[in-house]
Amino acid sequence: MMEKLYLVARIADTRVALRSRAINSVVTVGTPVEVPGAPPHVAGLFALRSRVLTLIDPHVVVGLPSVPVAPGQRVIVVDVAEHGYALLADQIEDVCFIDAPETRVAGKLMPGWARVADAVIEHEGASLLVVDPAHFITLPALKAA
Amino acid sequence: MDDLLNDFLAETAEILAEAGGALVAWEADPSDRERLDAIFRLVHTIKGSSGFLALPRVTALAHAAEDALDQVRRGNRPANAALVTAVLGIVDRLSEICAVLGSKGAEPEGDDSDVIGAFAVGEAAPDPGAEAPTEVAGIPMRREDDLGADLQNWRSIRVPLPLLDSVMTGVTDIVLARNEFARMLRESGADPSVIASFDRLSDSIAGMRQSVSQMRMQRIDKLFAPLPRIVRDLAQELGKKIRFTTSGGEVELDREMMENIRDPLIHIVRNAIDHGIEAMGDRVAAGKDVTATIAVSARQSGNQIEIEIRDDGRGLSPDALVAKAIAARILTATESRALATKDKYELVFRPGFSTASKITAVSGRGVGMDIVKSNVEKIGGVVELRNDEGRGLAILLRVPMTLTIISGLMVRAAGQYFAIPRGAVREILLESSDSVRIEKLGGGEIVTVRGEQHPLLRLEQVLGRARDHRDDADDRALVLIRPGQGQSYALSVAAIHDHEELVIKPAAPMIMATGLYAGTTLPDNGRPVLLLDVQGILAAAHIDASEIGRGVDRAAEAEAEANAARNAAQLLLFRDICGRTRGVRLSVIERVEEVPALALFESAGRVQAQIGDHIFPVHAARLPDGHGTIKLLRLHDGRSILCYPIAEVIDIVRLPDLVQPAAAPGLIAGVLLVGGDPVELIDPYWLMEQYAADAPAPTPRQPLCRLADDHDGWGDNFLAPILRGAGYRVTSEHTDETPDVLLCLTEEGVLEDGLENGGVPTIRLRVSVAAAGPDDETVYRYDRGALLDALRRRLGGGRP
Repeated sequence: MMEKLYLVARIADTRVALRSRAINSVVTVGTPVEVPGAPPHVAGLFALRSRVLTLIDPHVVVGLPSVPVAPGQRVIVVDVAEHGYALLADQIEDVCFIDAPETRVAGKLMPGWARVADAVIEHEGASLLVVDPAHFITLPALKAA
Repeated sequence: MDDLLNDFLAETAEILAEAGGALVAWEADPSDRERLDAIFRLVHTIKGSSGFLALPRVTALAHAAEDALDQVRRGNRPANAALVTAVLGIVDRLSEICAVLGSKGAEPEGDDSDVIGAFAVGEAAPDPGAEAPTEVAGIPMRREDDLGADLQNWRSIRVPLPLLDSVMTGVTDIVLARNEFARMLRESGADPSVIASFDRLSDSIAGMRQSVSQMRMQRIDKLFAPLPRIVRDLAQELGKKIRFTTSGGEVELDREMMENIRDPLIHIVRNAIDHGIEAMGDRVAAGKDVTATIAVSARQSGNQIEIEIRDDGRGLSPDALVAKAIAARILTATESRALATKDKYELVFRPGFSTASKITAVSGRGVGMDIVKSNVEKIGGVVELRNDEGRGLAILLRVPMTLTIISGLMVRAAGQYFAIPRGAVREILLESSDSVRIEKLGGGEIVTVRGEQHPLLRLEQVLGRARDHRDDADDRALVLIRPGQGQSYALSVAAIHDHEELVIKPAAPMIMATGLYAGTTLPDNGRPVLLLDVQGILAAAHIDASEIGRGVDRAAEAEAEANAARNAAQLLLFRDICGRTRGVRLSVIERVEEVPALALFESAGRVQAQIGDHIFPVHAARLPDGHGTIKLLRLHDGRSILCYPIAEVIDIVRLPDLVQPAAAPGLIAGVLLVGGDPVELIDPYWLMEQYAADAPAPTPRQPLCRLADDHDGWGDNFLAPILRGAGYRVTSEHTDETPDVLLCLTEEGVLEDGLENGGVPTIRLRVSVAAAGPDDETVYRYDRGALLDALRRRLGGGRP
């Protein structure tokens, strides 16, 4: 059942579906602390209780200019390789059960999106990109190298 | 069942490590009954638990060892090296089996008759080991007293480390929530009673945080436990005799930290045995005790643990090190000439360096001191060498008490805070300080601090940020950083904030990949702070921070001179036993000694102090009251020492130039003002003068007085003490040294050795009071005055 549960959100100006098992929680961002010298998609650090999370700006990952973090903005917390990351979300819509099958991405995507999108899924009459949050964290590191 | 097995394995591993060490200690002193009982109990425990888990091989092995030890306890079998070796063999076999048990979950097949059979060697009683394998299930219970001491172990429990970690995280969360709550309470202007009860909660949270961090601590003797065994085996293999001692085993250290220093410690101990301790013949030739000593000690200082491994071997030879380094092509001959002695010692930490002239099977396996050093540094520690060439080497490992908590210096740059590990910080200076000179050279910057040059890095530049316009230029500070041995640089920051104990966690990989940061930390205000990687910054800036060739030695000399000049004019402020504030020039103080009040005694109307083997006069009218300890200033005039009792040392300050001299010479030379308060200045000249008369005038050489014909011991018992008191050395035996005077205790005794004819003056003693006649040159033996007179006349020496 968990496989069919998705978080529908708007990140980097695009509506996407994130597989829920990859997601730890959705929280409100605190004031981030900058990390000078870090790759551009790292928007800073912020504390969630006693954890220090690395804030990722998905805009940069898909090749868009970065956007400033607004106080109270919501972030999607994911754990990748025992580290906590938070993806800045423009908007969190819903967590919902989508029964439709994931299908291959048919059209041509922007290079940035092509890297992170795994598939397309049909939900309430619209097509959503299925993205793996881990790709937002690992890929740019390779790109930067 | 799995849990039981895991517990068994964890417990057995600990027991085996402990047993190895205990056995070796017992071997050294087989009469130590308590130790034997302890070893017996350890083996017994293994046997008991293995029987319960149905591990026949383990049970049989433990049983064989237990049986042999029991016979020793009952006096049926001698304790000897063969027995200890056999038990150690069992311990090794048990370790092997447990390792397999841990990975496979089942006891491996195998035959243990070889190690069990070892007990038959040199055994007087019928072999009980042979029947051991048959007895598996039935575990005979020993007498009650055997198990009594085991109860202690039941008072602790095993907890998995992840559980402890989660408790730790939980407590940290609570602390952060508390801080948030405290801020809200303050802002809302809450009722004082609410705040009071919140403070109580806050206190108990702080206490809990303390307890949780203690939960991860373990006594360091766990780390020391395997060492005696290693020393014994290696010493036997190399044919060396080594006394091994450990101390400070009660010091506690974070478990994880312990794992990280285990290998470096073992490596250093092996090195000491293999390279440090000379072969027995060489030790004899060097006039040393044949039995070498290796001492491992631990002590806590602040939140650091110092572990010292000291041997009394040959120490490091700087010249040999340089020759070796040149041969290993680590160093060129030209470079070597520029090295100070201290730098030469540091050569052992260079990769590819091995001090042994030949690679031995023991320590020359490509794992060198460089690995030890990097492993220790990885956990925020430092390795130091204290060499005494020819007499031994001490290696000091200084590591933080816990892996995760370090002392950090908080600095500000580009409008945000960063932490620098305190251990790497050598000095902090304001940029505007007089002792700092900053120069631009070819686009770079260097800073000269008291004659010593360092490359200068500006933190904003390193991080690629602009300076924050709110920063005050007057606040800018230089942090002199020593990222590793023989390296230093100055980091310029916008401001220094404070010191904090920081819980460090690794940052996300892409942040660590920048090479600028060593981790993140979350101070109590809840805003994450990045910990700077002092070595990485150096790499990022592409500068050579090596101190070689920078004229550091000259600077160090200049610094030492400056210090000496300062010392000459420094004043030690103290409170005397009557509570008055007084001062004395620091340079006349040899040291401050703290002795038990009982060490002071009164003799011939003077107060004296016994310190070690010496007795010193004390400037006091009467013995101090009470017990406990008393502090003594040791005044030293180059010849004699005088103790001056004080209540406490207050401070060391610069000696003011203005002194209001006292009217008459006395204890107080004058009065001066320190920080606006009058302070009486002690006159050491006057003080010493008072006691100098008492000190025995050092005679260049005491005349040797030979007693002859001392048949009944009268000379030795009655006369010799008088003569010694008068400043003569006395002998009644024939010595190589020609005596200065001969005292013949009989009137006509024949003098052997032809000493009389050899021109040695002779005094004869007579028994009767009256002289035999006017020509009688003999002296009545109970006429002290005449006797000493006669001696003086003959020699012109001795004291009146």
